[in-house]
Amino acid sequence: MNLEAVIVGAIVGVAAGWLIRRWLAAARRRKEGGCAGDCGCATKLKPKK
Amino acid sequence: MSTPEAGLLVALVGNPNTGKSTLFNALTGLRQRVGNYPGVTVARKSGTCDLGDGQKVELVDLPGLYSLAAASPDEQVVIDALSGNIAGDRRPDAVVLVVDATNLLRNLFLASQVAELGRPVVIVLNQADVAKEQGLRIDTELLSRRLGGVPVVLSSAWKGEGILDVRRAIAAALDQKAVLKRVNWPADIAGALAAVGKAATADTGKQVSVADAQRLLFDTNPSTAERLGWTVAQRESTLRSARDRVRYSGYNPMAAEPLVHYAHLRVVLEGVVTEGLGKAGQTAAVDRLLLHRFLGPFLFLGIMLGFFASVFWLAKFPMDWIQAGVDWTKAVVAPQLDAYPMLQSLLADGIIGGVGAFLVFLPQILILFLFIGILEDSGYMARAAFIMDRLFSWCGLNGKSFVPMLSGFACAIPSLLSTRTIEDPKARLATAFVVPFMSCSARFPIYALMCAAFIGPLYGPGWESLVMVGMHCVGLLFAVPTAFVLTRLVLKVKPQPFVLELPRYQMPKPRDVVWRMWQNAAEFVSKAGTVIFAITIIVWALSYFPRDASVAERIKAANPTAAEEVVKAKVQAAYVEQSYMGRFGKAVQPVFDPLGFDWKITVGVLASFPAREVIVSTLGVTYSVGEGAEADSQQLRKAMQDAKWSEGPRAGSPIFSLAAVLALMVFFALCSQCGPTIATLAQETGGWKWAAGSFLYMTTLAWIVAMLVYQGVSRLT
Repeated sequence: MNLEAVIVGAIVGVAAGWLIRRWLAAARRRKEGGCAGDCGCATKLKPKK
Repeated sequence: MSTPEAGLLVALVGNPNTGKSTLFNALTGLRQRVGNYPGVTVARKSGTCDLGDGQKVELVDLPGLYSLAAASPDEQVVIDALSGNIAGDRRPDAVVLVVDATNLLRNLFLASQVAELGRPVVIVLNQADVAKEQGLRIDTELLSRRLGGVPVVLSSAWKGEGILDVRRAIAAALDQKAVLKRVNWPADIAGALAAVGKAATADTGKQVSVADAQRLLFDTNPSTAERLGWTVAQRESTLRSARDRVRYSGYNPMAAEPLVHYAHLRVVLEGVVTEGLGKAGQTAAVDRLLLHRFLGPFLFLGIMLGFFASVFWLAKFPMDWIQAGVDWTKAVVAPQLDAYPMLQSLLADGIIGGVGAFLVFLPQILILFLFIGILEDSGYMARAAFIMDRLFSWCGLNGKSFVPMLSGFACAIPSLLSTRTIEDPKARLATAFVVPFMSCSARFPIYALMCAAFIGPLYGPGWESLVMVGMHCVGLLFAVPTAFVLTRLVLKVKPQPFVLELPRYQMPKPRDVVWRMWQNAAEFVSKAGTVIFAITIIVWALSYFPRDASVAERIKAANPTAAEEVVKAKVQAAYVEQSYMGRFGKAVQPVFDPLGFDWKITVGVLASFPAREVIVSTLGVTYSVGEGAEADSQQLRKAMQDAKWSEGPRAGSPIFSLAAVLALMVFFALCSQCGPTIATLAQETGGWKWAAGSFLYMTTLAWIVAMLVYQGVSRLT
């Protein structure tokens, strides 16, 4: 496998991993109550820590 | 919760539309922290307020409310916050009551209730400039004396006038601890309150305050009793006999509180306000025109048309500049990676092409929110709600549904959360079900792309705006009958009275409008740099792999005399077709064929189910990859304009015909394509039943209506 394929694979892998992690975190925050902040809305309502 | 410097907490309370938030911004200078009250989605906005001489306090902006009777979660939060019953938050050391200077009697009702809490108070008579314009003269010293010596100051927060006086008054209140004069309850009501307080204290073992006793006696909402742990069995007979006692004294127990408070306030305000000559009639005169039974809706439509026409017109040049920037970046980056075609395609076609296609809409989003800010701050947005009221009342929705539905035009998520202000659970459910129909700002890019690429060039800018307004109305058009069926036939919602306060017309404050526009722009850019960026990479990978080298050789062999550029384009198109995305799109395309969607649009539609704005970047990637890395990024519109059916009965005809363009926009207007909205709907309705129902209903409806549009328009054109 050449370096180009490794770099592209890493970028795609990181993007997919980040998206999955973000959606899981949003689902968890939503379960705690309130807007999970993943909707793109201007209202930044986040659960209190 | 309080600032380390001072440790003092001051709460800002007032009726809605009194300029409370503007005053909060002026006092804290936008140095704010936004969070949530625990367990509820009511925002806790706080900031540091400098009182001068180095004294700083934490100022918390509580939700606007008309009375302390807790009918909704945000009202409950105010009561809990003022009485120090919020976990992790202290009881405020002072309360700043923001009062509309033009309507003292109604606004001071809340002050009269707050008096029962016994906290030091500052009365801020805001919008003093408007009161002056209306010819009202307010004797603040007399009012202060009548209210028990609490500081009373005049301010005009949106003009920045009187802010220093407010700071001084807060410092004085904290220093002198002057409390508002309480109302004198008639003997029987006072006796009933004492009996309730005594019984609740005895049953719960907790010290029940006078304010709590009033809530227990006067409110039908059991939240105070539940907080105190006073069970139904314990309180039932006590409350019944106390309310009977109030009734025997000549008062309806549910109306006694406002009657006594208003009687008290009429005495307090006697001689405080004198009326002179002013401009009182201006707002009423404008309203006679804008809220006219027949003219009003047409003027509303005209304003919306002008609004969208301006969005297109003003955004044209900045959009061209961004487009030029994207083209330039692509032109610079692509040649550097000629030796690495895979990486070149990822950067040029995927990331720059996809994210660039999305970012191009930034000027339109900015102008959209600028106009929304102007409409809101000028006072017209409330009139728009009033005009739509007739429509909503007809379909059986609760009056409080306007606000969530109106804000649904920006984003469905906060709108769904704001349905919590609707007391009737059935009305809340019906509103939550139809809120996703409102045309949120995420739908805007696809409308804008289609209008700019097809409607504008074919029919002119007038039609561009008209179609844009039409698309924003499509959702409403289907929301109304859906709400009608839900409220009248399925849920059988009982109609409830609703009072909508129309604020005065005023010049929007540039700082507030620009600040809101900036927040939305930051959100848009942040989304482009995160979610859209990541999804674009995934979409690129799915539309790039697998790559079979024999495809290129086969095409070259089949086209020995064709120009190199032509062969290259054919090879790129063949690669996309045999990619994972191409195969998947082709497999699913028959479902969308009656709607006139080819496999590339189908891919875009499917990729947009988690978030609908992904369509633009997906089309950017699929059309960009298909055309080769060298083409400039104007190619998205051009490639779409040039795209033709390659096979089947429509072979050779444009894919993006007028029928297909309208069908695509209608599909996006009605389809449930937002993962967070569905999840929030499930959360707000307490399960997945209604969320799944909403998804199935909206998606099926979108398919049927888009199919009818495509088939109908195809036959007419």
